[in-house]
Amino acid sequence: MQAVREFILDRNPKLDKLDDDLDLIDSRAINSLAFVEFIFLLEELTGESIDPEELDLDDFRTLNAIGARFLKQKAAS
Amino acid sequence: MAVREIEPIELELDRLEHMAESGYYNPYTLFDWPDAIEPDLPWMSESLTTLAGTPMWDELTREQQIALTKYEAINFFSLNIHGIRELMSEVVMRIHERTYANVSEFLHHFIGEENEHMWFFAQFCLRYGGKLYPAQPSLQADSVEHLSPVARELVVFARILIFEEIVDHYNAYMATDESLPHIAREINRVHHQDESRHVAFGRMIFTNLLGQVAKRDPAEVPLVAEYLENYLRYSIATLYNPAAYRDAGIPDALALRRRALEHPARHAAHERILKRTRSFLTKAGVGRELVK
Ligand SMILES: [Fe+2]
Ligand SMILES: [Fe+2]
Repeated sequence: MQAVREFILDRNPKLDKLDDDLDLIDSRAINSLAFVEFIFLLEELTGESIDPEELDLDDFRTLNAIGARFLKQKAAS
Repeated sequence: MAVREIEPIELELDRLEHMAESGYYNPYTLFDWPDAIEPDLPWMSESLTTLAGTPMWDELTREQQIALTKYEAINFFSLNIHGIRELMSEVVMRIHERTYANVSEFLHHFIGEENEHMWFFAQFCLRYGGKLYPAQPSLQADSVEHLSPVARELVVFARILIFEEIVDHYNAYMATDESLPHIAREINRVHHQDESRHVAFGRMIFTNLLGQVAKRDPAEVPLVAEYLENYLRYSIATLYNPAAYRDAGIPDALALRRRALEHPARHAAHERILKRTRSFLTKAGVGRELVK
């Protein structure tokens, strides 16, 4: 999760803290141009590949959602 | 689409329209499609692959190198198809807007030609590679919400121009690369010819819309420059597709992608790819030097 936070904070120098339930997409913390890189980062962290045709944006909206969908799932399996 | 705040665009397009008419061809009969590509030939120029100039290329077996040219060619054409598909739909929506009435004739040529390009790129990928790579996901809430309507119009045409200039860097080189199979050279050559008109048009409409942005609010120009700089970087990064590395049988695709993107030889390659576009943007007054 630290790597995910760093990715977002690096691209948003104006954000000094990152709430776990901030809507990353509506707030433009992750925009279209960064989204592809963000997906690659998550694939690398989880070792799981994400099919661009199947993805559900709601899985990416908040740090909580990302944690639940991608990171804890990994820890549990 | 709030184009009402935008002044009608007047451009001198007679020469480009005439060239589009006289150079018109039937893409469906133009090419001689061989049954297969010669197995030991590269599908794209080796010097244009994303690992060129790095030890990562030298570490590959010859089979992996050829496979990489194959899958990066498919990636390059797939990017073209999806990129132009999205941008073309923006143009279609504008074709009878008052703002664009005077350039509508050329926009018809543009849309028709791009539709044909999509066809022959896909034909190449599907015939010889059996697939396209899927489009990258994009977000609806996009990164232009902070811009004025006229700047958003500028961004639409700027994206098309930047995209076309990057692609053309590759096409121009591959059009005459004798190491490639004939059909690959031909596709690149034909595309390069049409794109020279699109780029000429793109620069004219870009200059017009940038003038309108600057006239409305000069303070918005650096914001546009920032957007464009991000778009340039994004476009370069899409050339590095981990799926192509995987398909070429290269392990650790994501780590490889990261290493390649950071490699000094690749930074130099990116500067070469973007040289023409960057100097155009700088001359137009909206180059990366404005970005804080
Ligand atoms: Fe094209
Ligand atoms: Fe074009």
